[in-house]
Amino acid sequence: MLRRFLPALVPTLLAIAAFCASLSDPYFMEIFIMVGLIGTVAVAWNLMAGFTGLVSLGHSLFFGIGAYTVAYGQVGFGLGPLATWPIAALLALASALFIGLLCFRYGLRGYFFSIATLAFSEVAFLLVSATLWLGRSDGMMLPSSPDALRYLQFDHKWPYGLIIVGFLALTLFISQAVLTARPGYYWRALRDNEGAAEALGVPAMRYKLLVFALSAVVTAIGGAIFANTFAFVDPRSTLGVELSIQLLVFGIIGGLGLLWGPLLGAALLIPAGELLRNYLGSGFHGVNIVAYALLLIVLALLLPQGLGGVLAARLRRRAPEKPAADAKALAMEAAQ
Amino acid sequence: MSTQQPLLAVTGLGKSFGGLKAVSDVSFEVMPGEIFGIIGPNGAGKTTLFNCLSGLLPLSSGAVHLDGRRIDGMRPHDICRLGLARTFQIVRPFQGMSVLENVKVAAFGRHPASADAEHHAHLALRRIGMDHLADLDAERLSVAEMRRLEIARAIATEPRLLLLDEMLAGLTATEAAALCDQIRRINAEGVTILMVEHSVPIISQLCGNAIVLNFGEMLASGTTRAVLADARVQEAYLGSAVS
Repeated sequence: MLRRFLPALVPTLLAIAAFCASLSDPYFMEIFIMVGLIGTVAVAWNLMAGFTGLVSLGHSLFFGIGAYTVAYGQVGFGLGPLATWPIAALLALASALFIGLLCFRYGLRGYFFSIATLAFSEVAFLLVSATLWLGRSDGMMLPSSPDALRYLQFDHKWPYGLIIVGFLALTLFISQAVLTARPGYYWRALRDNEGAAEALGVPAMRYKLLVFALSAVVTAIGGAIFANTFAFVDPRSTLGVELSIQLLVFGIIGGLGLLWGPLLGAALLIPAGELLRNYLGSGFHGVNIVAYALLLIVLALLLPQGLGGVLAARLRRRAPEKPAADAKALAMEAAQ
Repeated sequence: MSTQQPLLAVTGLGKSFGGLKAVSDVSFEVMPGEIFGIIGPNGAGKTTLFNCLSGLLPLSSGAVHLDGRRIDGMRPHDICRLGLARTFQIVRPFQGMSVLENVKVAAFGRHPASADAEHHAHLALRRIGMDHLADLDAERLSVAEMRRLEIARAIATEPRLLLLDEMLAGLTATEAAALCDQIRRINAEGVTILMVEHSVPIISQLCGNAIVLNFGEMLASGTTRAVLADARVQEAYLGSAVS
């Protein structure tokens, strides 16, 4: 039991430690919040991309649905998170099922699926950017209310950090539970060979919709937390393609084959981006972005399996069988 | 034969890709408990026929009944659930999974709980004699072992009818003989088998009845001995000089 949930437990404990360490400084807490929030969303994204082979480039759609449901729910109807979060989850669920049915019904795979999801999120981005009652491209402020607790409005950032620790832990444990049960096996089989999986009794459509729905709902909750944390939403930061690309980058750098890989990617790259901005951002304009891009290129070249892949291989090296077999192969090659 | 209902009844099955007829008007019946053979040279439409039977391809014409129930038009996973399992000619295990996990995917169909599925995956591996390889990374298996893994996955779905697609091609004589024994044993345990095979000696060893395909058409059907003795079969498949 403990062993089964180790990949969820260890990152959760590390996150709690990071949260405690960030309590000293609001700036650190802000970075912790971004890492925890986007990292967790990237974990949900990776259930599709890494484990099922469905690379969505439109996950900002679900993040935006979450963020705007919270914002408009409060501005338009005076609703608090108790109401808006479940509504956000339901809206994301409905959108994921709609897009999923459409894509999977017509057999969109690989790049075509990615582009279709990108198209949906771009349409949403443009629609929201042009909709007056959603604040157009200027975005929406969530007004502060005297009933602060009902709207999750705190004077400090740390309570949001605490919420995000819970969000992260819940996502990791639920994901690990599902991955080690039937759906996880079916997803990996579908990722690898859909025809063979179906012939072995895997209902492809149902399980692809399941992972899409789960991933979208978690992402929408992430968007909802974002809106409450920053009390501000705009199309660029919640619906833009930059967010979807970020998830992809965190996944690739952190390691797609691992539950916690994308979280590791976020934990490395978000602080790295901040550091570069602090030390280089004041100099030549844009030089920090160039440095960030260089960092990504170097990491991608050095670690094609992702940082997590390297770490996992290190941990696994305790089993002596593999190097022995390699040594044997080498010896045979040398003998020839 | 008898009044017994056939386990698999194929009537007038046809499949075209655009204007090309890959398979046309194939009809045969497989009785419960037998090992039935499909023989034919390369490109005769054997694999297309299998894809039609297992639901991967829609039929252009005809019908397929499994134990009296019409299955053409159903999704592959539903057909699998009804008791028809198949292997693929090009064997590719699921990547990043151990041998056991590969079989577990198949066992989950009838055993939703992980521990149950694992138990039945071990049983399937034991039946094909490779339980000692359970924890090995599936990609490290030899070709012969991968073939057996393919069969283990298929029988882990607990089928009544097992479709084997050229399981013996490319194996050494010893490996092929061992696999033949295993196929016989699985059959003796109550699984009806429909096998596509290239090699005539193996078909005549294992199969009581067979059909011969050539260019997507049925040349002959009946007992394997009669089918192989058929003059048209000799000419089309074995070459006219064979005695």
